[in-house]
Amino acid sequence: MTAKRLSSGGRIDRSQSLSFKWDGNIYNGYAGDTLASALMANGENVLGRSFKYHRPRGIMSAGVEESGAIVTIGEGAKKDPNVKATTQELYDGLMASGQNAFPSVRFDFGGVNNLFNKFFAAGFYYKTFMGLPPFEWGSKGTWLWMQYEKVIRNAAGMGRASREFDPDTYEHGHDFCDVMVVGSGPAGLTAALEASDAGLDVLLVEQDFMLGGDDLNRAGDLDLIAAVEASNIRVMTRTTAFGLYDYGVAGLLERVTDHMAEAPDYMPRQRFWTVRAKYTIVASGSLERHVAFGHNDRPGIMTANAGAAYLNRHGVLAGENIVISTNNDSAYSVAADLAGAGASVSMLDARETIAGATAEMASGAGIDITFNAAPMRAHGPKGIKKLEYASNSDHGWHHAGTVSCDLALISCGWSPVVNLLSHRGVKPVWNHENACFMPVESNEPLAVAGSATGHWNREDCIASGRAAATQAMNALGVSKTQVSAPANAGWENPIEPLYEVRVDSHKLKSFIDPQHDVTSDDVRLAHLEGFVSVEHLKRYTTLGMATDQGKMGNIIGIALMAEALGKDIPEVGTTTFRPPYTPISLGALTGRGVYDHFRPLRRTPMNAWNLEKGAVMMEAGLWHRPWYFPEKGEGISEAYIRETEITRNKVGLCDVTSLGKIAVQGPDATTFLNRIYTNAFAKLAIGKARYGIMLRDDGMVMDDGTTWRLSEDEYFMTTTTAHAAKVMVWLEELLQTRWQDLKVHVTSVSEQWAGIAIAGPESRNVLSKIASNAAEVTNDELPFMGVTQTTLKGGIPVRIARISFSGEMAYEAYVPSDYSRDLMDMLWEETTKVGGCLYGTEALGAMRVEKGHVTGTELDGRVTIEDAGLGGMASKKKDYIGNVLRKRPEMAKEGRPQLVGIFPVDRSKKFNAGAILCEKGKVSGFGVGWTTGVTHSPSFGHWLGVGFLEGGYKAWEGKTLIASDPTRAGDVEVEIVSPHMYDPKGERMHG
Amino acid sequence: MANRISALEGHYNPRRYGKEGSIGITLTEVRDLTLHQIAGWVDTMDAVGKKGATAVGAKEAPGPCSASHGSKGAMLRIEPMKWWLYGAEAPSLASSEGATLDVSHSRTHIRLSGENATTLLNRHLPINLSEAAFPVGSVASTAFHHVGVAVWRSEEGFELFLPRGFALSLWEMLEAGAGQFGAEIV
Repeated sequence: MTAKRLSSGGRIDRSQSLSFKWDGNIYNGYAGDTLASALMANGENVLGRSFKYHRPRGIMSAGVEESGAIVTIGEGAKKDPNVKATTQELYDGLMASGQNAFPSVRFDFGGVNNLFNKFFAAGFYYKTFMGLPPFEWGSKGTWLWMQYEKVIRNAAGMGRASREFDPDTYEHGHDFCDVMVVGSGPAGLTAALEASDAGLDVLLVEQDFMLGGDDLNRAGDLDLIAAVEASNIRVMTRTTAFGLYDYGVAGLLERVTDHMAEAPDYMPRQRFWTVRAKYTIVASGSLERHVAFGHNDRPGIMTANAGAAYLNRHGVLAGENIVISTNNDSAYSVAADLAGAGASVSMLDARETIAGATAEMASGAGIDITFNAAPMRAHGPKGIKKLEYASNSDHGWHHAGTVSCDLALISCGWSPVVNLLSHRGVKPVWNHENACFMPVESNEPLAVAGSATGHWNREDCIASGRAAATQAMNALGVSKTQVSAPANAGWENPIEPLYEVRVDSHKLKSFIDPQHDVTSDDVRLAHLEGFVSVEHLKRYTTLGMATDQGKMGNIIGIALMAEALGKDIPEVGTTTFRPPYTPISLGALTGRGVYDHFRPLRRTPMNAWNLEKGAVMMEAGLWHRPWYFPEKGEGISEAYIRETEITRNKVGLCDVTSLGKIAVQGPDATTFLNRIYTNAFAKLAIGKARYGIMLRDDGMVMDDGTTWRLSEDEYFMTTTTAHAAKVMVWLEELLQTRWQDLKVHVTSVSEQWAGIAIAGPESRNVLSKIASNAAEVTNDELPFMGVTQTTLKGGIPVRIARISFSGEMAYEAYVPSDYSRDLMDMLWEETTKVGGCLYGTEALGAMRVEKGHVTGTELDGRVTIEDAGLGGMASKKKDYIGNVLRKRPEMAKEGRPQLVGIFPVDRSKKFNAGAILCEKGKVSGFGVGWTTGVTHSPSFGHWLGVGFLEGGYKAWEGKTLIASDPTRAGDVEVEIVSPHMYDPKGERMHG
Repeated sequence: MANRISALEGHYNPRRYGKEGSIGITLTEVRDLTLHQIAGWVDTMDAVGKKGATAVGAKEAPGPCSASHGSKGAMLRIEPMKWWLYGAEAPSLASSEGATLDVSHSRTHIRLSGENATTLLNRHLPINLSEAAFPVGSVASTAFHHVGVAVWRSEEGFELFLPRGFALSLWEMLEAGAGQFGAEIV
């Protein structure tokens, strides 16, 4: 290929010279170039190596269907592999390199693979290497295969991504419009203008960096673009509509700074848009097809339209001695343009003859045409030098001649881009007249225009764009105009379907999916091996599974499969296109949701205060909670044991803000609570709290917590951290769907109130020091389960309940969140005076296991109220949610797993949460129970735990079992005790 | 009285940053939020609405998805049967009439203003915030990075009410995205 930049013409800006680097060589291009056009202009024709055979590859197209010029952009952390040079906008300072080659794409040692290509047919390593005798026969496994699979994977493939952290930022965006037009060719531009003129809000989306679509590839004025630029149409270039979804939702990827050498650090690299359009017009164009013939992947062979694009858009004449092979009329204007630019052009036309304007155009340009001719085999491994061609007869194709050339352009039909329609479940249908799959009408607010619906000339495309806009305007109620779309006129001279040129007695390596090195023989091999479904064919041969997703080769593959099966193409069908239309970076999908923002981070109002005090944090759902507060080099074990001991002997403070908090208000609040809790709330006095259990409809335990009665008609409910949102939603659902007659409002006040647990024998002492009136927190005024609403020093309003999770005398105090720092400062001052400490969730967990309190770990949705050891809280006098179904025989039967306490027989032994409890000598299967929580108990001085065991504590009292944990602690002999291990009578918390 | 400490304490850094030239986004934390919820029953909505409107000095209570601005504050319809009174205390309601709730500490109030405020906010919020679809006086409960938030378009810009626990996390995302428009935190 002897390409050259022309001194004039094209849509590049020759006043803006851009310097870029390719494989270490510095070249120049112009603003408006793609990397492909700039490399072509600089004489580079081998830009890649193929996936499997490492064959040299050059530019095959001028768009997203590119399967040869696939390169790596950038280096280091910003390295971006598998970029199509045909779509990469050139910028000053761009650095690009070849990939899947060593040392370079010009000379690649991996090219030796091509010598063994007979062995590398479709699915070769499934058949040849897996179960290699005699090493992997029988039950010997596939270890050896796993080893050379690595070698195979290393030898094949595409570019390699950077292993460094991605330094770029990405973001999401939402947009809305009346009409979204995808594609800015003549049809898209016309549709956008028409809809905009009707006063509609129009969003025009174009994947290229320039508007115009196919208009850019033709000589002539860009009048439609100028009109759009002067309109109110919102234009998004460098943006791909990669998917269409339900209800007019489209996914867009905007490449914000991919065309900049140095982007400001405040700019995201890419933006992932969710657009909600009332109406969508798809004017996504069509893709020109290749044909399978011998060595059709050689550099210097590309689509005919690409030849026009490089000439008319980029001012590059791709060759001087050009042969164009076609089966349709579209290549003739390309031939005329290239001839007009000074190239020697000859044509091979698979048809017997042509007439009309097309023939006149060829004649006028002085182009020599050989009819009944199609390419058979190319010569020139790193750049085509000659092309053998064949003629067809009753006996099939036969060799007919050879023509010298430095560029071969192929036009063997056009495939409308139906991908976006396919996303909506619209199956395209085969159109024999045009030899392509055509979209059919959708029942959604969606229209298709331009060559995407089989209009092959500019005037028809414009007319169909206008018709699509009329459809949109009618649907949106701004017009009631008769839609008059042009009929699919077909070609002036009928197309002659052509997918492969096979010549008997000639062994031809004919590629149908160059990107994955899938050949026509691979398709036939798949058929011989019994694959009859196009979906299976795809997966076995990997046809259409590369980054172009079959844009270049799918139709040829389907046609060959149909031929092998003796069927027509419509009978074989087409594969389903799924989003994305072109690849999307994972970074764009995540947007700004990375690192600390991967999930929304929820901080308690004491978060900063806790961190200042040395807290090590842990995630509890979205919350960050203090895990433990290490002192003087302590690890977690030393820290939580110290915290537990101090809390049990003096006082400890624990941030419990993450508990769910719900305001329940209204004259029917008591009735409401009485229905959702298993135990009675009807007579709960004002100023008292009660522990409650709520069940699901199916009778399983949903959540537990305390509810405080603040007044006649107002309650303050607390839930577990884990189930806060679920309970809130559940209460709303009950009020909105079942009990609309109840005058009750529920409101989450989890964010309003900061919560602190003050636990330990000194807790009352500490609390009395910070209360405005110490008399309000005496044992008489605030007994166990008592509630008070008062103020702390400094006038901070506070709600206090004397309740205990730790088993010690304890209080939960809640202040409005913004006051939490003052609260903590006051509490900490008094706590340190009595030798108290802060404690985190680890010590909290240890104390609750000692007490046998259940948490979300135990209440996992499979547990009845009896299983949890709380059957006494199930009222027999009233009805409540879950009361009926909890009495089903299976849930009430004897022997269900119930909560137990667990001690190791040898008190020096440790066992783990998750261990299976088995009878001695029967360590197998599911055993008779399992452990849910364990801790090294500071109070007992040994490990202990809780879990569920068939029949519960009474059935196993005094017996020993095996806690089996084969992957960690092994088997540990344990004895079963009451779950209420620490202070079973509850004397300490009543103290 | 004790000090109110913002959820953004230590992370709120007033400055001009990002793209040079004109300022496209102004971010402001409106401190010391006063926010009360009032709720009515099916048969008392009109009466409760009038009391709420009186409390904020507005002519009438707003309908769904909207706000009324008054001499003493504003009233936002935040749920079908609930309003928020912004900047004003709640009126006294008998329980047979409705319920009041102080939620002043539950939200962090961020104001976005400037030419690009809509664009920035729509980088996060999945509702149409254009002037035509969401004019001044509009209110919505929507989602910001999976978190439920309330947004109200006032004469001064977009008033965002972020759940306090998530406020810093969401603020960091807003702050990071604003730089591309030329931003100022005041």
